[in-house]
Amino acid sequence: MFKKIYFVMTMLMLASVILAACTTTASPTASSPTASSNTTTDQKAAAANVTLRVLIHQNPPMVAFMEAFNQSFHKKYPNITIDMSVVNASDLSTVTQTRLTANDVDVVDMFGFANAAQSYMKKVDAPNWQQLIDAGLLMDLTGQPFVQKYDAAAVKDAGTYNGKVYEINLGRVSYSGIYYNKDMFTANNVKVPTVWSELVAACQTFKAANISCMTAGGKDGWPIFVGAYGLLGSIYPDQAALVQGLWTGTIKWNDAKSLSMWERMQVYTSEMMESGASGIAGDAAPGRFASGAVAMFPGGTWYAPAIDAAQPAFKWGYIPFPGSDNAEDNKYLFGKYDQGWAVAAGTPNKDAALLYLTEFSDSANYQAFVDAVGFIPTQSTATLNTTIGKEVAPYLVNFRVGYEQYWIAPKGAGQFANPWASYFKPFGTDDDPKTLADKVQADLQSGLDAVK
Amino acid sequence: MSATREAVLTKKPIPWGMIGSYVILVFFAVLYAGPLLMLVNTALKTMPMFMKDATGLATEFHVQNFVDAWNKASFPKYLLNTVLYTVSATAIYILTAIFVAFPIARGYVKYSGALLTLFVIALFLPPALIPQFQLILGLGLYNNPIGYIMLFIVNPIGIVILVNYIKTVPKELDEAAALDGCGYFRFVLEIVTPLIKPAIATVVVLHAIGIWNEIIAPTIYLTNKDYYPITRGLIVFQGVYGSNWPTLAAAVLMLTFPMLILFLFLQRYIISGLTAGSVKG
Amino acid sequence: MTTYHFGRGRARWVPYLLLLPGIFFYVLIALGPSMATAVYSFTDATGLKGAPVHWVGLDNYKEFLFMGQASKDNFAALERTLVFCFFVTTIQFGLGLFIAVLINQNLKGRNIFRTLYFMPVILGAVIQGLIWSLFLFPIGGPMARVLEFFGTRSEFLGGQPSEAFAWVIAIQIWANMGTTMIIFLSGLQTIPTELYEAVRIDGANSWQVFQNVTWPLLTPSVNTNLTLNIIGSLQAWQLFLVLLGYRNGTQVLGYLIYATGFGQTSGSVTSSFRQGYAAAASIILFLLVLVIGMAVQTILRRREVRIMG
Repeated sequence: MFKKIYFVMTMLMLASVILAACTTTASPTASSPTASSNTTTDQKAAAANVTLRVLIHQNPPMVAFMEAFNQSFHKKYPNITIDMSVVNASDLSTVTQTRLTANDVDVVDMFGFANAAQSYMKKVDAPNWQQLIDAGLLMDLTGQPFVQKYDAAAVKDAGTYNGKVYEINLGRVSYSGIYYNKDMFTANNVKVPTVWSELVAACQTFKAANISCMTAGGKDGWPIFVGAYGLLGSIYPDQAALVQGLWTGTIKWNDAKSLSMWERMQVYTSEMMESGASGIAGDAAPGRFASGAVAMFPGGTWYAPAIDAAQPAFKWGYIPFPGSDNAEDNKYLFGKYDQGWAVAAGTPNKDAALLYLTEFSDSANYQAFVDAVGFIPTQSTATLNTTIGKEVAPYLVNFRVGYEQYWIAPKGAGQFANPWASYFKPFGTDDDPKTLADKVQADLQSGLDAVK
Repeated sequence: MSATREAVLTKKPIPWGMIGSYVILVFFAVLYAGPLLMLVNTALKTMPMFMKDATGLATEFHVQNFVDAWNKASFPKYLLNTVLYTVSATAIYILTAIFVAFPIARGYVKYSGALLTLFVIALFLPPALIPQFQLILGLGLYNNPIGYIMLFIVNPIGIVILVNYIKTVPKELDEAAALDGCGYFRFVLEIVTPLIKPAIATVVVLHAIGIWNEIIAPTIYLTNKDYYPITRGLIVFQGVYGSNWPTLAAAVLMLTFPMLILFLFLQRYIISGLTAGSVKG
Repeated sequence: MTTYHFGRGRARWVPYLLLLPGIFFYVLIALGPSMATAVYSFTDATGLKGAPVHWVGLDNYKEFLFMGQASKDNFAALERTLVFCFFVTTIQFGLGLFIAVLINQNLKGRNIFRTLYFMPVILGAVIQGLIWSLFLFPIGGPMARVLEFFGTRSEFLGGQPSEAFAWVIAIQIWANMGTTMIIFLSGLQTIPTELYEAVRIDGANSWQVFQNVTWPLLTPSVNTNLTLNIIGSLQAWQLFLVLLGYRNGTQVLGYLIYATGFGQTSGSVTSSFRQGYAAAASIILFLLVLVIGMAVQTILRRREVRIMG
């Protein structure tokens, strides 16, 4: 028995000695930071074999599409092999940071540029994409032929910094609409609401018929307040102006207009949301809606594949949140630029990377991509073929980038300095709109005072 | 095996203490088994079933999840990597830790009190994600299994457990062994190590589980797919707006199995002292 | 320093030599990067290669501790951290000890109990979070059905912050009690059975046996467990992430640091890289843990000397 342990221990000791040796022999490279892993990749001839390292975030339909695309790309250009790695969306920013620093990636998936510091904002930090560009880690794509394929507005809004293009954005998503159960609306003789009073009435009708009005993934927190971003949008349709107003003090979260928003948000959380919604996980909410347990589901366009997956025959529609009494203010969809491509500035495979983006941007490939992920396209030639695409098509002219993409909180602002419906019971602790409105404004003011 | 104990107990008319113990243990067993069974239940469901009713009982034995998990996550390949990382890092760690803990517990090196304090302070140290990344990168060990293993050969918790445990080993033993001509290295490995088996087993279990379940480090340090541990492979079942929980649950059950075996195996050592004692008694 | 029995002269260096690898790795992998974190905390470092780093003095600390309402929120998180630590440590310690003593009896099926209680540790935090989210599902989940039977209902993790926080405390204890139990169990093995039998023959009841034999002789395990429980609960963040996410009124310091470091405080995908600020926050947590941990260590060591000599 002892002998056996002795033997094992000796082996382990050997292993540790080997490891220690490895460490010491490797340490001289520490003094030469330029020496990195790119010696393995061939830099000279584009025709030579190249491995293109692509980083994307986990989103099942997108990953499935990319795998197929990579295969056909490799078939067309046999000398280029794609090594694609997938990380969780929440880790994308950190992994982008580490891999660009290690010069270990060629093409990166990056969310659309947003939250740029505005002149009226004081002491705010640059957003992560700007920090990457300032550090010289992203390649300037200005003038590349494939950039012309995308809407000039999308290129400018979501991928341009200081007049240079660093990202081509692949599509927009809306987060401000409401899914509704078509059959349930017909069966209960409810008309699709276009103003706030109709929405309230619709919910009352369903309640009388013993049907819960809405659900959302309350356990994750954000689906509740993002679900009410449409309500925020119909009160303040110009969200860039809203953010400026909040920073400069011309709009306050406790002024009369905002107060009416808070009152409606309270109706939304306490009367429209089903009881128990606060325990539903974000990824369970689409299934809950598809099961026919509720009439409506405020949520982003990205949920559509999950709803269809849960109940393929289910008939649903998608409308902007009717939060205002004025139907004109309820015609907007708010959202953001989702995924896009950027290229590492230090890539040894520049030609292959650009070729990859050219191929991806080809109209047919791009159309297939949009159909797979359900984005609202940023190439004007692409069409909306998905169910969700057809539902949002009528509102597309009124698509606007939302509050969350403009807002940067002043440093020092409290944790309540946001227009979040989730502050209300049962999700939060508040049940009086006026008190809450004052608290939200005070938390914001505290930050504005701190950075003066 | 422990006849003496049973004999003592049968003398009493009604073993109320025993019954009470069982009642309490069973109560907690329910608290533990209940949530754990949710995992098994989830693993047996199909995705649509799960979406419809996440917590309802699975009505049929849906083995497909296990098959999917095995295939889609490249289970065999990545599992081998995980085993490799876990075994080598734990082995190196435990060996170095014993030789750190023993002289500190005994006071055989200068400033052993200060050294112990240093390791206790290490327990408090803040996470140093980015500096650690820069260190590994600077050493040229980024995206390299050796660099990854290096991250896990330090664990102050184990040192503290070992030091506290070694203190229960009588000091007279050292003197006796030395008089018999036993050298330091041999003494620690052949005499001390078997005596502190319960503590070693505890530390091995805790340390190995930590490496086995690590999620963030492989995402950051290993970008070559050939080096992925299995936790990194499981990402295929996760999504931004909806994860494939049933397959993930099935994968987790399979992933847990080897650690469960390790625990079952090592817990014999954790309780071995008891058996030895009662045999003697 | 105690007398060393294993030779003199060159042989005296053997323990130092064998100690070296452990210390070297420790300094290289743990201590070094943590010291770098301390340096980072005085800069505006982003962690990006090529990005300029400026010395900003105490600005990060000032922002965390004194800037506007946000700093007050940080103090609230600090207070919550202490509450969390107190409840988790006391309950997990007491329960772990109690269960270990029960299991240490010669019971049938104790292997099963022991394995079952240890299972959550094997699963890890992400899975612990998943199974409790399902178990506490408010619409038709198992726990909801139990409450329904008693004519009541709860929002569980999605409920009021104080309630959700209480659930995290319970789940943290559930998840880590197995470790406490195992360390106590291994400590119990060092107590000779003969000692128990001797006091039993003297007519001591179970409580007296525990008081006079088990408790004093368990001192090393008590020290280990108290230290681990206090530090573990002060630094806890994973369960907060998987069970609650970023929610007002529930955050503890460990979670805030994670969220800042990974740029997830606002839920926005474009949050800045603020490694300097995150470093300052983690140094503040370090100091808190250090003060509490060292105080406890001092008390424990004095007690150990008193009992074990």
